[in-house]
Amino acid sequence: MAENKSDTASGLKPTELRRSIVEMAYAGSSVHIGCAFSMVEVVSSLLGQVMNLGSGADDRSRDRILLSKGHGVMALYAAYSALGWLEKAHLEKYFSDGSLLHGLAEARVPLMEVSAGSLGHGLPVAVGYALGKRRLGEAGHVYCIVGDGEMNEGSMWEAVLFAGHHGLENLTIIVDANAHQAMGRIADVMNMEPFAAKFAAFGFETHDVDGHDLELLTKTFRQPSTSGRPRAVIARTVKGKGLSFMEDNNEWHYRRLTPELLEAARKELQGKSNHA
Amino acid sequence: MRERLSDILVNACQSDSRRIVLSGDHGYALFDALRKKSPSSFLNVGVMEQAMVGMAAGLAKAGFRPIVYGLSAFVPMRVLEQIKMDLCHVSYPVILLGDGAGLVYSTLGASHQCGEDIAALRPLPGIKVFTPADADELEAVFEEALNTNGPCYIRIGKSDRPPVKQEKLKSTAPRVLRTTAPERPILVTMGSMTAFGAELSKAEADGGFDLGHLAVLRVKPVHAEVVEALKSAHEIWVLEEHHRSGGLASSVSEAISEAGYAVPRLRVWSLKDQFVHSCGSYQHALSEHDLSDEQVRLAFARAIREKRN
Repeated sequence: MAENKSDTASGLKPTELRRSIVEMAYAGSSVHIGCAFSMVEVVSSLLGQVMNLGSGADDRSRDRILLSKGHGVMALYAAYSALGWLEKAHLEKYFSDGSLLHGLAEARVPLMEVSAGSLGHGLPVAVGYALGKRRLGEAGHVYCIVGDGEMNEGSMWEAVLFAGHHGLENLTIIVDANAHQAMGRIADVMNMEPFAAKFAAFGFETHDVDGHDLELLTKTFRQPSTSGRPRAVIARTVKGKGLSFMEDNNEWHYRRLTPELLEAARKELQGKSNHA
Repeated sequence: MRERLSDILVNACQSDSRRIVLSGDHGYALFDALRKKSPSSFLNVGVMEQAMVGMAAGLAKAGFRPIVYGLSAFVPMRVLEQIKMDLCHVSYPVILLGDGAGLVYSTLGASHQCGEDIAALRPLPGIKVFTPADADELEAVFEEALNTNGPCYIRIGKSDRPPVKQEKLKSTAPRVLRTTAPERPILVTMGSMTAFGAELSKAEADGGFDLGHLAVLRVKPVHAEVVEALKSAHEIWVLEEHHRSGGLASSVSEAISEAGYAVPRLRVWSLKDQFVHSCGSYQHALSEHDLSDEQVRLAFARAIREKRN
């Protein structure tokens, strides 16, 4: 596993990850592109700048990322590939017969940590894992990315309740708050606001930030916590962020790229700087 | 059996610091000794079965070997998908204890009764399912479950009859409690029905009719010895406190046919395709399924009369 080059300019580049996601999604004719695009900066910040990636997969003290909103998994595949943890060939063979990577997070994939295709699973596992690490006195922070729609699930709030009560200070929950769930806007289907106030009421230290501002995200994650409480970072994001025809358009939970749209996507992403 | 269960939990936790017992606010006095002797090994997570199983998976991921306690009506029934995805899919070594299985909670009604747990779990890849009847069987079952690197479910039902016979069991292989001539039926039981089955087969033997008796401790995977003991039986009688579909009769007959043998004639006394309707004692609840002691005794007597004619 690579050293984390957190203080150099060579961290993960959001635009490159989006390019990688587009190519992978086209290769596999995959849906869920918008879901992956909204969390690209969160993933870039965590894996590219914030997390201690340790000396290798077996290093128990390294920080971990557990993806609870499993349908955003292409963002992690792209990041893992960029970090050299996942051979690029796996992305090129996306969804082909006998291939490794599914359209939802699976713990059987190296470093994927948790199976999270079904919503409401990843966070309880992350909470148990953080508890276990604390009991062992083991270093390493647990970052769990959840969806705002996923927070409809009762099991998520069970886990939040537990983490708050037990003061799991080695846990950070990041809500990819892209304002959409599968069938519509969060505000219309099942209002979850005020998110931060809900987490605060459950005993969390909360931060409500722009989820596409890489610097701000990194600054927020790096802020030393003195509260002795778990943290919730509400990352305000745009579903499909990065491509004009996808942004805030919930169709891109389901749509697949045509050859024409692939070209349009390549062109638009080509024009963007790597830090955009 | 409960005293032994308490001892087993204490020993398991004291001898292995990776053990931790989770309960979803159930079990009260069962954990008194554990809380006293190994307080850090017990965690009441609160009334949250779904997150409890997820957290057990997370603890297993961190290197622990959790034991998750619940009533069988909730663990596994309420958390079946968590068991499938959080435990089975990743083969985590987590032991699930489902207490009060069957109609034990006769006065509390359908929500706390559970005759479908084995059927629900059997299709989940890699999980072992155990059905101990008494303290000795419980010991053998735990011995195997604690040493299994994957998920296990231990079904604990009514066990207030005297133990069949006290003996140290070497494994979870079936117990041959009574042998008989090949033309006689073999009674097959698990869990709560084993002690009663032993009583019945003894009474029939005293009355001059030799009924074989095989007690099954592990219904998934079925031991080869079960098939061996039953494949050439003239007739198999199954008595189980579980619904007909997917329980002991299903497991045993499927194992025989999968092994390439014709399934002998099968007679099954099991829970019917219905809920218990009215409130009352355990025996009353069983009677709605024609499974009370008295009903089963009469049914056996009838069946034996038919055999003799």
